[in-house]
Formats: sequence, structure tokens, C-alpha cells
Amino acid sequence: MKTLLATEGLTKAFGGLVAVNRVSLEVRENSLTLLIGPNGSGKTTLLNLCTGVLKPDSGRVVFRDQDITGLEPHQIYELGFVRTFQIPMPFIALTVLDNVLGAMRSPGEDPFRAVTKAAWIEREEEHMERALAILEKVGLERHWNMPSASLGAAQLKMLEVARGLASGAKLIALDEPIGGVDPARAGDILTHLTELKKEGITFLVVEHRIDIAAPFADHMYALDRGSIISHGPPDSVLNDPKVIEVYIGRDEAC
Amino acid sequence: MNGVDKTGSRMQDVWMKNEVVIGLVMVAVLTVIMLTLGLSLVLTILIDAAVFTIVTLSLNLEVGHTGISQFGRVLAVIAGAFVVGAVPGRVLAFLNGLPYGVSYADDAVNYKVVPAISDLLASSLPLSVGFLLFSFLLAAVAGAAVGWLTSRPAIRLKEAYLGISLLAFGDFFMWVGHNWEPLVGGTTAVFVPDPFRVVWGSRFQVVVIVAVIMAFLVYLYLEKLTRSPFGRTLHMVRDCDVAAAVCGKDIVRIRTQSLMIGSALAAVGGALYVIYAGTCTAIGFTRLTWTFWPWAYMMLGGIGSNRGVVLGVLMLTVARTLIITYRSTLFGFLLTWGIDPMWLEYTLMGLVIMLVVLFMPHGLVPAKVESILPAGRVRKAAQEQGFGATVG
Repeated sequence: MKTLLATEGLTKAFGGLVAVNRVSLEVRENSLTLLIGPNGSGKTTLLNLCTGVLKPDSGRVVFRDQDITGLEPHQIYELGFVRTFQIPMPFIALTVLDNVLGAMRSPGEDPFRAVTKAAWIEREEEHMERALAILEKVGLERHWNMPSASLGAAQLKMLEVARGLASGAKLIALDEPIGGVDPARAGDILTHLTELKKEGITFLVVEHRIDIAAPFADHMYALDRGSIISHGPPDSVLNDPKVIEVYIGRDEAC
Repeated sequence: MNGVDKTGSRMQDVWMKNEVVIGLVMVAVLTVIMLTLGLSLVLTILIDAAVFTIVTLSLNLEVGHTGISQFGRVLAVIAGAFVVGAVPGRVLAFLNGLPYGVSYADDAVNYKVVPAISDLLASSLPLSVGFLLFSFLLAAVAGAAVGWLTSRPAIRLKEAYLGISLLAFGDFFMWVGHNWEPLVGGTTAVFVPDPFRVVWGSRFQVVVIVAVIMAFLVYLYLEKLTRSPFGRTLHMVRDCDVAAAVCGKDIVRIRTQSLMIGSALAAVGGALYVIYAGTCTAIGFTRLTWTFWPWAYMMLGGIGSNRGVVLGVLMLTVARTLIITYRSTLFGFLLTWGIDPMWLEYTLMGLVIMLVVLFMPHGLVPAKVESILPAGRVRKAAQEQGFGATVG
């Protein structure tokens, strides 16, 4: 399988705290790569660096053989790489449907064409069908016409996922997509991601709920204090003593 | 809100809407003013309301729809006013062998040149119309240019920082115009050639009609613009710019576009004002009148609601015009308590802003969360997907 996303020695410090320390990882095409690690280990910062929300101090980000280090988020979106947020960031004054439609490209976004409805209405209707189908997949179909501000925490999470899916990207980075979601729905979502994988979408998933997510992962990276401590197939990573130590603590008695 | 699907309650919904009630009250108030105080006062109110509708709607595009803290609205208004005060008259002066250079703005020359140009305009309707359209086009271009210029240093700033920068830019041109005579006469002001002299007998009425039509067109344009995918992008940037960027929106470009369109419209408002007034006085373009009044109108009407803004402008313009007209005759008694009624107008503005912030933070017609796309089409698409019977 080809490498879709690669980071090379990616480093970011906030003052004296090195949040991400020379991280090199690879996300292969058509895989679901799981990124785990305790709170504060740098997972979200790593996603921010990859998607242009933050600029790295050093190192490179390569996406589809193109250096995307330091590009703006919208430029990275154009190349086919989007992310969702751990803390949902809905467009609160838009409806749920418009939140999803907003993640797509529309000819009506051009201020000159915007005033002539004929220039964009057909495309928007196609988008609408796709958006409604996505909302059904994430379980928000009953809320499509409500203000996004009226959604609950788990529903906002799903809205984040829906926006990610709507972008039509090649690579979608999901920051804790099933945090706060009930296990049944969480399983559904991950199953859905596996189906989308068959359509050629690649996922980089940050998740704390390893028990639910690990069975769906093809590859796994474990992060601790900004550095990768283990990577490989999920089973080997989960059984790696270094990972066990980070999560459960060292057994001092031994 | 709900019950939109039930046809029975639809009529009721329409009648219960704030904007309909307020609109009818305003029509009644204007009728009473016309019957008791005369038509000319109504026309004065309408021309002021039209100019400020354009300016305030443009402000609402930037503030209400895009989330830019535009505290320098006066800048774009000045751009439109000055360019119309300085350029079209000079063009005609040049074409007709009249003084057009630095001396055009000299008060000893200007008071002779401009009436000569106005006489020329009065002789030809096509020339007058052309002059008017050229002036507005020029103003729009100047406004867009100023919007772009101010956006360069300011666009990456947020909220208060952006607001303070724009506030500082706002006064810049006023002082340039006030002190640099060749532009619009400095302290003495220039006259603006009058394209409405061609309809001399009913000039005032025609100006009012043209102004009201223009305000209405601006309203229609902005309604279309904000209820489109472009409008949705503006709202995305307003609600959460980081998420908008991740959703592929170039937030710097979108803010710039909003500033340019808004400033172009505000400049047309400024141009309309000086053409109506017949003079362009730099010192008259204060931030009080052209930034803070529009803010008060917008806050009263409802930030983000184009319809609310129109009503807010109308209500406060009526109040303001009545106060200005009658402050000395009706409120002279205030002087016995040491209060100069000259300041009533400004006191009113402060009072309105305070009351709105305290009791109606969303304004008279709060902006609604509704689909950008036509409601009927959205509902149809949802029904086709099999979940039409949802909350409407």
C-alpha cells in the first residue's frame, strides 16, 4: 500500500513544553490508522500540525508526495485532507444541514455568482441529497433542519464526523470521533468508516476508547509526551510493555 | 418557528411576525406625520432613511453576517462622498474647458464652476443620468478599493484589535479631506454638480424616489447575497473561523470580499448623500453620524437581520428627524435645567444602545437560524430521502 501521509521529524514546542517531539509517522492509503496516547501526549497538536492549524517548529508533512508543511488549512483541504475537532466547533447559527453543506465546495460561494440562484441551485440540491444521506449515517437525520446550537454533546460530535465525511477528502483525520458516544452507536460509526475505506477514503483516528476502536484499526501509533513509543499492528502495540506502562503504570513490586 | 407545515397557522405566523407589526406601525406613523406636519418632513425622513439604510445594511453585511468588528464605517462613506465631490465635476469641467485642476476645489472658483456644470446637466436628461450612474460607479470602485486597503493590515486581527484598527482608519480620510484643500475644498467644502436639476420643479421628490429605490435594490441584493452559499460561508467564518478554514474556506479572502462589498455599498450611500445635499463637507463625515448611528440602527433592528436593519433605520430616523426639527421649539424648556437640547439627538443614541443591550440584545427582528437554501426545496429533498416529517 502507498503512503498517503507522512511526517518527518515533526516538532512543536509551546514555550518550554515540547508537545510534539520529532514525530515521524506514515498513514498508508486505504487504511484506518489509530493514534492513541494518554491525555497531553500531543495527539491533537500532531493533527493540528498536519492540517495547517498550527505551524511546526521543524520537520515536514508530506501528503500525496507533496510537501504541505506550513500550508493554510483551506489549501490542505483543497488537496484532499481534512480533520474534525475533538471539542466540537459547530457553526452555531446554521442549521445542521447547512453545517454539513458548508464542508462541500459550491459554485455559489463566489460572490458574483451567488446572487444568481440558477448558477448554483442544482449543485446545491445534489449536495443536499448527499448531506442528508451522511446525516442518516451518523444518526442526525431527525435533526437536519434544527439549529446546530440545539444539539447535545454527542450529536455535535457526530456533526463533526458528518462534516469530515462531507468534504469528500481522501484523508480524514478524526479527533476522538466516538468520545461521549454510546457503545452501540460508536460501533456503527466505526463500521461505517470501514465501509468508506472500501470507497478509497483513508482515516487517521485519534481515540481514547481503545477497546472499541482497536478492532477496526489496520495500524496503530502510540504517543507519549510528544514522542512515538510504539507502532505496528494493533495487537502488538497494545501488548507492548512501553504502552502498558504508560496506560497502567509500572508495576513497582516486580 | 414550528407549525410552518400547517397551512392553517401560516397566515397567523405572518401576522405575528415582529417585522410586519413594526412595519405597519411605521407606515401609520409616517402617515400621521404627513397629515399633521406636512409632506416635506416625510420626504426628509425618507431620504435620510434611504441613505442610512444603504450604509447600515452594508455595515450589517460585515458585522452581522461576517463577524467583522467594523467600527470604521465612516471611512468607506467618505471614500464615496469625496470621490463624487472631487472627480465627476472635474471630468465635466475638463471636457467643457472650465477650471478642473487644483483650482476646481478653490472656494472662489468652485462656486462658479459647479453651477455652470449643473446648468449643463440640466440641459440634458441622458447626461444627467449618465453623470449619476458614473458617480455611483466611481463611488463603488473607490469604496471597494478602500475596503481592500483597510483589510490588508487589519484582516488577520480579531475582534477588538480589528475593531480599534478600523476605528482608527475611519477618521483618517476625514482629516485628509479637511486639511488638504485640492481634494474637496478642505474647510470650505465643494459643491457637487446636481444631476437632479433636470427635474427642477420636483427635484426633492425625484431625489427621494431614486434614493428609496436604491435602498430597496441594495436590500434585495444583500438578501440574495446572504441567502446563498456565499452567505453561508460568511456565517461559517463568523461562527467559527478555524472550523471554516478546515472546511476549505479561505477566511482571509472571505473577510476581504465582505469588506470590499460592504465598503462599496457604503460608498454608494455616501455618494447619494452628497449628491442629494449638493455639497461635500469633509468635517461633516464624523464617526458619530456615519459609524455609531448605523451601529445603533443595526443593534435596534437586529444584528444579522437585513429586514430588522431596515426597520431599525426607519424607526430611529423618524425619532432623530423629529428631535432635530423640534428640539429648539419643543425642548427649549430643558435649558432652564441647564440641558442644551442640541444634544438630545446624541443622548437618544446612547439611550437606544443601552436599552437594546439591556433588554433586547438580539434586536427587534432577531436573525433566525434557517436554511440558506429555499425552504421548499430543502423540505422536498428531505421528503425524498424519507425523513420529511421532522421538525420544521
